[in-house]
Amino acid sequence: MRFRALALITVSTGAHYTLLAVVTIAALVPVAWVVVSSFKTNPQILSNAGSLPNPLTFDGYRNAFTDVELGRALLNTLIYAAGGTVGALTTGFLAAYPTSRLAFPGRRMLVVAFSMALAIPLVGLIVPEFFIVRYLGLFDTKIGLILFYSAMFFPLSFVILRAFLVSLPYELEEAATIDGAGYFTILYRIVAPLAVPGLATVAVLVFIFIWNEYFFAQLLTISFENLNVQTTLAQFRSAFQRDTAAQLAGATVAMAVPITAFLLLQRYVIAGLTAGSSR
Amino acid sequence: MATSKLRPTHGRAIHGMGRSIALSLLPGSLLFAVFILIPLAVLLVTSFTSWDARFIEFTRVDNYRRLASDQVFWNAFGNTALYAAAGVLIQVPLGVAVGIVLAEHIRGWRVFRAVLFTPMVISGAAFALIFANVYNPRYGLLNWALDLVGIQGPDWLFNVNTSLLAVAGTFVFNIGLFMVLTMTEVAAIPIEILESAQVDGASRIQRRIHIVVPLLRHVTGTCVLLSLLATLGFFDIVFILTRGGPADTTVTLAVYAYRLYTAGQWGYANTVGVLIVVAGFLLIMLMRRLFRIGERDL
Repeated sequence: MRFRALALITVSTGAHYTLLAVVTIAALVPVAWVVVSSFKTNPQILSNAGSLPNPLTFDGYRNAFTDVELGRALLNTLIYAAGGTVGALTTGFLAAYPTSRLAFPGRRMLVVAFSMALAIPLVGLIVPEFFIVRYLGLFDTKIGLILFYSAMFFPLSFVILRAFLVSLPYELEEAATIDGAGYFTILYRIVAPLAVPGLATVAVLVFIFIWNEYFFAQLLTISFENLNVQTTLAQFRSAFQRDTAAQLAGATVAMAVPITAFLLLQRYVIAGLTAGSSR
Repeated sequence: MATSKLRPTHGRAIHGMGRSIALSLLPGSLLFAVFILIPLAVLLVTSFTSWDARFIEFTRVDNYRRLASDQVFWNAFGNTALYAAAGVLIQVPLGVAVGIVLAEHIRGWRVFRAVLFTPMVISGAAFALIFANVYNPRYGLLNWALDLVGIQGPDWLFNVNTSLLAVAGTFVFNIGLFMVLTMTEVAAIPIEILESAQVDGASRIQRRIHIVVPLLRHVTGTCVLLSLLATLGFFDIVFILTRGGPADTTVTLAVYAYRLYTAGQWGYANTVGVLIVVAGFLLIMLMRRLFRIGERDL
């Protein structure tokens, strides 16, 4: 019923599919071409952009993993993404709970400050971030980047979780208080289980964002054992000047993780971005 | 900034919970202070200094005066504005239009939503590598396709006439976020409004233009704001693809600030940084006014 009525605002089905086809081609063909071409040999890539891999080869992948330490970069990225996600999730949840469920002085100020932080273009803070991280002895360390990512995504985590917690009913917490449960017991035993969908949304979103992060990874790390996959990828064009297949394979590997995560957990990603953006 | 959900009576009483609340707020506040608040303060103060590896001294507004006659800065400013225009005039309308279409749940909408959203989760570094190859003049996909119809394409990224266009082309079709935001908003339009319009004899196009589009004012504003904020911090793709070249035709404010940082002109880099941050704040304030964003809830 609802959708039939919505169809009232339709122009024409043909026009719809034309628009969708054009946008889909423009958005997807470059990506698909890279993925397909990554299974070609270099002569095949250079001779005909429009051909399919024949025979299918994995030379590009082999070179990407042997000539450059892509494997280690992937492992590092996993460490950063997992650590930063846990950090942003924990701090965001701990801050979102009292500011959404309890009344205390200064609450409004904190909410405004943390929410505004979501909109600060952090790339403007190049020099201060570099010096503060260095001053703390955290430059070019894994823990430093994990802490930084926790801070970078704390506001997003806070905003999404707070929006989620505001809508939960109060009865369970009240009952638990009467039963004598303390603050952190309630937080851990009652609120956290209710907030699992919100927590999952934040986790997926922040994990993907950290996986894809390039700017601060290249600002705050320098040695090979700390590079993430994006900083490694950025060097592929110079590292593989004559090995296009390896470039394309590297891009495909780097994309594979977030795309898989998105396709499997679509609902959480979309819900999270919608909640995080419209506030 | 309505406070419907924040009225002081809302929320449970906090007898004896003060310490727990403070403890709970501490880790986040600490991260916020160390990595966001203090850097902001340092940024602002040092933007009035001449600061390099050897010394730092206050030079009052010299840096800001220098901006006025800095040709590269104005290039970066102009390019950032052009990228912003591409975002607002192409990316946002496409996203909103596709969102309206898919919200009607036409056949295959789930597939289109998944496919069109996917570029959102691809990193800037991967996009840079993708388009470095798509735009390659010898074997790239774009010139291969143009060749099929008998056009000889240029060296897109290294030709001063096409470089900016080529860089803009890397992101204008990345519409996933705007699409899903619009879909959510359309789904919230009360069905009665559309039905009563039909009874009144409004045609399909009239209904769409006069009813749906105005109701999407709020979400369109959000999309424009997000697009502008993204452009303001636009760095990864430009930096990896072109380093801002050729002849500074693609340089953005963020790339220029980073360049100044690597050149050791830290005070001046921070002046550009302050402009980026202040522009972000102004955009938010302006868009909140224009589109009444954030009036429903904080």
